[in-house]
Amino acid sequence: MSEFKPILTEHIKDENCHSLSFYQNTGGYTALKQVLQMKPEDVIEEVKSSNLRGRGGAGFSAGLKWTFIPKDTAKPKYLINNADESEPGTFKDRLLINKAPHQMLEGMIIASYAINCNTAFIYIRGEFYKEYQQLNKTITEAYEANLLGEGILGSNYNLDVVIHRGAGAYICGEETGLIESLEGKRGWPRLKPPFPAIEGYLHCPTIVNNVETLSCIPHIINRGAEWFKSIGPEKGPGPRLFCVSGRVNNPGVFEEAMGVSLEDLIFKRAGGIPDGKKLKAVFPGGSSSAILTADEAMDVKMDFDDLVAKKSMLGSAGVIVMDETVDMIQACLNIARFYAHESCGQCTPCREGTVWLVKILQRLVAGEGKDTDIDMLLEITDNIGGLIDFSKGSFGKTICPFGEAVAWPVRSFVEKFETEFRSCIQEEKVFA
Amino acid sequence: MPLLKIDDNKFEVENGKTVLEVALENNIEIPHYCYHPALEIAGSCRMCLIEVEGMPKLQVSCNTFIGEVPPDRKIGGKYDMVVSTQNELVSKERKNILEFLLLNHPLDCPVCDQAGECDLQDYSFKYGNAHSRFDEDKRVRPNEYLGSQVAINHNRCILCSRCTRFTREVSGTSELFVEQRGYNSKIAIMEDNPLDNLLAGNVTDICPVGALLSTDYIHKNRIWNLKKQTSVCQDCSVGCNIDVFSKKDQIIRLTPRENHKVNGYFMCDIGRYGFHKYENIERITSPLQKSNDAYSEISWDSAIQQIVNELETIGDKFCAIASPYHTNETNYMLGRLFHGLMGTFPSIKDKEITYPSGFRISGDRSPNKRGMNDLCPQIVKSLPSEIKKQNILGIYILDNGIGAELDDNWKKILKDMAFVVVQSYQMTPLAKSADIILPGLAPFEREGTITNDKGHVQWLRPSLQNQGDGRPDWEILNIIDKMENRYVDLNDLMKGLGQQFPTYSDISFFKLGDRGISLSERVKA
Repeated sequence: MSEFKPILTEHIKDENCHSLSFYQNTGGYTALKQVLQMKPEDVIEEVKSSNLRGRGGAGFSAGLKWTFIPKDTAKPKYLINNADESEPGTFKDRLLINKAPHQMLEGMIIASYAINCNTAFIYIRGEFYKEYQQLNKTITEAYEANLLGEGILGSNYNLDVVIHRGAGAYICGEETGLIESLEGKRGWPRLKPPFPAIEGYLHCPTIVNNVETLSCIPHIINRGAEWFKSIGPEKGPGPRLFCVSGRVNNPGVFEEAMGVSLEDLIFKRAGGIPDGKKLKAVFPGGSSSAILTADEAMDVKMDFDDLVAKKSMLGSAGVIVMDETVDMIQACLNIARFYAHESCGQCTPCREGTVWLVKILQRLVAGEGKDTDIDMLLEITDNIGGLIDFSKGSFGKTICPFGEAVAWPVRSFVEKFETEFRSCIQEEKVFA
Repeated sequence: MPLLKIDDNKFEVENGKTVLEVALENNIEIPHYCYHPALEIAGSCRMCLIEVEGMPKLQVSCNTFIGEVPPDRKIGGKYDMVVSTQNELVSKERKNILEFLLLNHPLDCPVCDQAGECDLQDYSFKYGNAHSRFDEDKRVRPNEYLGSQVAINHNRCILCSRCTRFTREVSGTSELFVEQRGYNSKIAIMEDNPLDNLLAGNVTDICPVGALLSTDYIHKNRIWNLKKQTSVCQDCSVGCNIDVFSKKDQIIRLTPRENHKVNGYFMCDIGRYGFHKYENIERITSPLQKSNDAYSEISWDSAIQQIVNELETIGDKFCAIASPYHTNETNYMLGRLFHGLMGTFPSIKDKEITYPSGFRISGDRSPNKRGMNDLCPQIVKSLPSEIKKQNILGIYILDNGIGAELDDNWKKILKDMAFVVVQSYQMTPLAKSADIILPGLAPFEREGTITNDKGHVQWLRPSLQNQGDGRPDWEILNIIDKMENRYVDLNDLMKGLGQQFPTYSDISFFKLGDRGISLSERVKA
């Protein structure tokens, strides 16, 4: 692992790394110059062949997404940079916005050029006020340097970038919820199809990409798709920012190649677990992913496929570490409460089911558990997220994947630490 | 055309239809809440889940569109889509969704107005669990008023969002919205913008459960005690199709009935609550004769004989007043009887309103002006001056009914007349100027046809029994007519009417049915 040299976060320790002059001095915006000489189709093809997969959570191929934009439409096209980073345990986009905003902006301009869009949006999480101010500065700098606006760098390509601040809803990070919110409506995710690439913002073709995804684009253009594919596993290659938090000595964002082992991340990069405590469980990809037990965690590579094989997911790559002192029922309640609070309330199972989970878990924590509770918890998660048949590969019962996002972790807690849940019930019985 | 298989049924369907639409058209039940044909698809209640062959997860049938697939991808070599609506997986899902919907539901069907016509009740009975597994505290919220005529019971609400979409898409007024988020979501209004538009009553109809309540109907009745009669609204010249619910000859409520050629799915509150104006009115229940400024009851025979005598005495100096509030048949009979001078009172004009969805409230608040003009072509505009010019001595009036006020000019004309007959159902100021009053029927008692302002002829069916000695208005005119001219019944009359006015030929109640006939379409055909 020592061979990997950071790509996206190479300069973040340097002073003034967020400024335009610094970025240009370290090779910034050369990719853009090159792209402006290329045909948009070729840019899409290059990104597609790099196998870059989305860094927001779902892991969909970025280049493939771009190809879905209809070629024969007179409608304007839009690019939205999803900076509504709100997955618990995830704080990589914030770092990229603060430290390498021009890298992200260059990615945005290239992506906009590729899909022939003249207005791009940055939908930034409302709580990111400092980051919002940083982006304002960055965009002003870019306009002054003719990197945005009319006739970018002497070409005949125009692009405006608009920053929109969210109002604090987790669900507005879901791309169609985000689009609704951007249109000034209630952040209720839309029914799909049609997908945003066909009908998105204002019913026009729209691409929504994550901050980290866009930040990868300039490097792919500069060094080529083959180089990118050589980093980590070929099906989901590239650098990845892992956010390690929880019971570790040295929490933070660590850039590694895709496919790094979780053990290395926790024990080498994040400095292991404090006070010599034992590892108990890990969220590998934000709080929406199913947790891994210590044994599973020691034996997993952080890439899309290996985690799916472990019935979890890479998600937003937010690694949350829990040691042996953590009460799993409390932790599970904490997660369930978050999702109950953030459910948009549109679909029946998610609106009603999330709170049902919380109410049962609250009873368990209060020592008022019943024999039927464990089965009930499992069944409710099934009914919200629909884990009927893993072999079929798809599970959802709700409009957006929020239902799965609550069902997966809660179910994994109950399944993997069933004895702990059971003992909680039985103990109470003795007292009763 | 794509070939669709739903369970064991095969359908050739139009490209772009949804599975739910096809199922509903063919009487296959797929339970649903948020879907309403007049509203945009929400897909949020998750009740209409079905299994589609080749798709990994269950799909909501309201958003599953059917299209032609290439030959090599046809299922079983011929189907473009194969759908199961009844299999084990789907049944289990329905149970689960119903369980979620009932978690916080108060289960107060015995005191709920919706009971008996409630989708939640029906589907729970048919597809749901018999017992609740929810042992926690329920979410309880107080009832609220959303507008002067609409209240909401939040505990019964399943947040299907039909009502919010209605105010956004159909009325275009956007009073209703969902407040809060997730579990705390609830239907709400802004304090300064209550749900008081003229289409507000419709939200109580489209609410699939007992959450939205019409304050006019609340706790008045159980639906199974009411008699239901299809009819047509008579409060403007659009002629919305309605169902009249009554009990013991008293109207309890009106609801709109779907007719895409007329009103779509809705009606306005003017019509919806219009029936109240016929309550507590001074009904005329037998023929009355004026003597010394007071009215005394006389027999039908005596009344008719006097009129016939006067008609003979006065002869040509008789004129008649047709009414846009009466049926085609009545106006036709009047025109036939009095082929001389004829006119009509000015009808009530009001603001014409057209909503974004195309729903219309006509500025002409009489139901049958078009029909009256079609069938009484001799109507003159300047009747008062003609009366003077021709020295008219007697007048026969079809009363417009409630709300019709006479101006001073007309009052004087009537006072100067030697003989005035008014056919009316209540003691209006106009009726009080008559020498003889003949008791007709009130609007909800009438039968016949009316023609709306776009030329759509509809069957007005009687919802209530005749009161007292009142007779159908066309029949009164039929009796006054000479014996050899008389019609046997309404059908006979409609035949005769059709012979004289070819645009109305070949119209019968049977042919009109529940949807009516458009005159303009007939001309084209």
